Amino acid sequence: MTSNSIHVQPVSTLECRSCGAGAPVDEHFCPQCSRILALGRHGDYFAFLGLPRKLTIESTDLERRFRELSRKFHPDYFYNASPTERLASLERSSYLNDAYRTLKNPATRIEHLLAIEGMPPVKSEEGAAKVPPGLLEEVFELNEQLDEIRDARESGADRSGLAARLQSARTPIDAKRDEHERQLAALAAQWDAQIDSGTAAEARRATLDALRERLLERNYINNLLASIEREVASLGIGDQESGIRRG
Amino acid sequence: MGKVVGIDLGTTNSLVAYVRDGAPQVIRDASGDGLVPSVVSLGDDGTIFVGREAQRRLLTAPGRTAYSVKRFMGRGVDDVPDEAALLPFRVGGEAGGVVRIGLGTSEFTPPELSAFVLRELKQRAEDHFRDQGEFDYEVDRAVITVPAYFNDAQRTATRDAGRIAGLEVLRIISEPTAASLAYGLEKRDRGLIAVYDLGGGTFDISILRVEDGVFHTLATNGDTHLGGDDIDRVLMELVLRDIESRSAGPKDPAYTALIQAIRKSAIQAKWDLSDHEETEIHVESSAALPNRYRRRITRAEFEALIRPLVDRTLGPVKQALTDAALEPREIDEVVLVGGSTRIPLVRRLVADVFGRTPHSDLNPDEVVALGAAVQADILITGRREMLLLDVTPLSLGIETIGGVVSKIIMRNSTIPASGREMYTTSVDNQTAVDIHVMQGERELVADCRSLAHFKLRGIPPMPAGLPRIEVRFQIDANGILSVGARELRTGIEQAIEVKPSYGLTDHEVERMLLDSFEHAAADFDARLLIETRNEAETVINATEKSLRRPDFDAITTGELTAAEIERIHTALAELKHVMTSAERDVIHAKTDALNHATRHLAEVVMNRSVREALAGKNVQDV
Repeated sequence: MTSNSIHVQPVSTLECRSCGAGAPVDEHFCPQCSRILALGRHGDYFAFLGLPRKLTIESTDLERRFRELSRKFHPDYFYNASPTERLASLERSSYLNDAYRTLKNPATRIEHLLAIEGMPPVKSEEGAAKVPPGLLEEVFELNEQLDEIRDARESGADRSGLAARLQSARTPIDAKRDEHERQLAALAAQWDAQIDSGTAAEARRATLDALRERLLERNYINNLLASIEREVASLGIGDQESGIRRG
Repeated sequence: MGKVVGIDLGTTNSLVAYVRDGAPQVIRDASGDGLVPSVVSLGDDGTIFVGREAQRRLLTAPGRTAYSVKRFMGRGVDDVPDEAALLPFRVGGEAGGVVRIGLGTSEFTPPELSAFVLRELKQRAEDHFRDQGEFDYEVDRAVITVPAYFNDAQRTATRDAGRIAGLEVLRIISEPTAASLAYGLEKRDRGLIAVYDLGGGTFDISILRVEDGVFHTLATNGDTHLGGDDIDRVLMELVLRDIESRSAGPKDPAYTALIQAIRKSAIQAKWDLSDHEETEIHVESSAALPNRYRRRITRAEFEALIRPLVDRTLGPVKQALTDAALEPREIDEVVLVGGSTRIPLVRRLVADVFGRTPHSDLNPDEVVALGAAVQADILITGRREMLLLDVTPLSLGIETIGGVVSKIIMRNSTIPASGREMYTTSVDNQTAVDIHVMQGERELVADCRSLAHFKLRGIPPMPAGLPRIEVRFQIDANGILSVGARELRTGIEQAIEVKPSYGLTDHEVERMLLDSFEHAAADFDARLLIETRNEAETVINATEKSLRRPDFDAITTGELTAAEIERIHTALAELKHVMTSAERDVIHAKTDALNHATRHLAEVVMNRSVREALAGKNVQDV
């Protein structure tokens, strides 16, 4: 959802709407008159935040950059400025907030990288009924168990027993997700190493393909886990107050 | 350019504050009171009364007096809450339209009534600046706070109220965030803050990260229909059950006045039970109540009654923490805001949830207005030491085929925020699309809130699915949404007509602005009379509070003579008797008399408090 903003190739220069001078696309303020620049058709959150196009991001560094840019762009500081600057401040602040939100989360960070590297969007294939080949076995197993549990529920079986069965049904799925998280982390490290060593685009392309495949599977796994959660909820014995102790 | 202020437009009380020499301060009236009750009353000659005078009129002219108007801001007739049954004023309007509140034979929208409160605050601030010898004392701009969980329609209604009152609304900010800003002035350290804000009519929980002067809201949640009003109602219902057999039908004037008398006693009892273990609810006899009503109530009984209400705050607290991906124990500081957080049960529950004692160093009634003043100062001076980053409390999207909501901006997105999605047509040669803007978390349109309808016209005839319609959402720093739509294949961007589902059109706001001038009651003598009554009421309340102390006998035995106590009661009764008089001097004389009669009592109470404080015992524990 967060990465749904425009995925267009950035144009090379921007025109300052205050003084008409040209400015490089990744500048935020006009080099001539130092006024805030209109956003233009920016598409790269990494560059916007002054980050290299790498998947390992230190969260304190990201937050610091976010705070610093917020202090530069926020509409609070453009209250007495011209309408052009006020609009630019609104656009840049909105874009910054979206960029921060997208890059903060490792999964949406990968999605964004794939998008700006010209890969087909991950989103469009989500919800497609096709089971990723690597998950066939687990999905088959899980569906069988879910059917059994639903039948048992309808014939009035003991609910806490069913909850326990649901828990054990999700164990292999959880394990699979952990495995995917590890694979994604390894691929991310591989991508970053390739960027650092200046590896050719074709070689990097293979890494992107692998990242995309893992991400699709991971999203599929998350949907499976969500459907198990729904089953648990339908048993009506979920711990509604977990996380908070009641007085 | 005139002056700029910060305003807390509350359900029960409102305040105005400004920054002077770098520090925010609340602007008070002659008797030192910063609170203006958010009550509006319509006199028989069309005069508008606001604040304490209007509050007094709740007992004498209940059918012409409105309170808790904030609960109706941005709402439709269809979702008028059931509590309307106990309100003295009429709540109505056309089906599918904005709520209208009837006072006497006139009707007002909630933004108009709120505008009267805002105008009173503006007046109070201007009087203050003039008294300070300022040449340019006019107040023309303000930052106004709203509950964090207010939706788009409620925020827009608040902004409209400001415009009707003749104020340029510089910014709408959320109450918990404003409160954190006021606290941030005290201690500028870094950390995770939870703000628990239980006010007169609304509940908010916000989780913020503070670092380098940036107040970054991570998540917010709440209930725009939960607060002190509900607690009052629980107590009122308790009394009504006791005396029901004696009551006449609803909306009978005598009965309506009785309800207000009960409400006043219930609120008093609620306040007492924050300081004492036990109190008495008493209602004087009247046309609808032949015999005086008295009932003792303990704090334990009170807590059992309100427990379900207080428990309702826990769900939002949990959700906000989940959304911020935090455990309760990770929160460094908990800040209490809103008058209802004075209730000991609320404090205990909050302390339990977070495993730490909440902060309440600043007055929970005033902290929001102070924060609003700080924000106003930031906006006009461009000072960059502090920055508030707020979030949108609810997801925003549009209705798609099948009654499903397609979300465009997710809840807890930092604002300003933008989003865009592509849509297309569903039948061949469709030349227009309806765009129905929704707010809420649920999947189905029926479960979300309708904000507005738009129509994009002029799409060239094409097979279904071919047009590429881009819908753009932009939320500004006020949390207010604007929507644009265009067809990308042709580049057609229609001027889109906005029809807010439960709001006022610009034209209506303009008209109300003009109307409001005619109602302005600027009579100098009338204002002086009201100020005199306010002072008298302050003395009456303080006296009654002392007399009602459970330990009154213990404190006064051997200190005050029976004759002294008798004189206090006589002076009190005499002042109450002349309260409705139009003679300022008479009220003034009787106020002085009561002040004189209670001087010794005040000394005795004060000495006792000092002794207890020195003995290391908290006055509240007595």
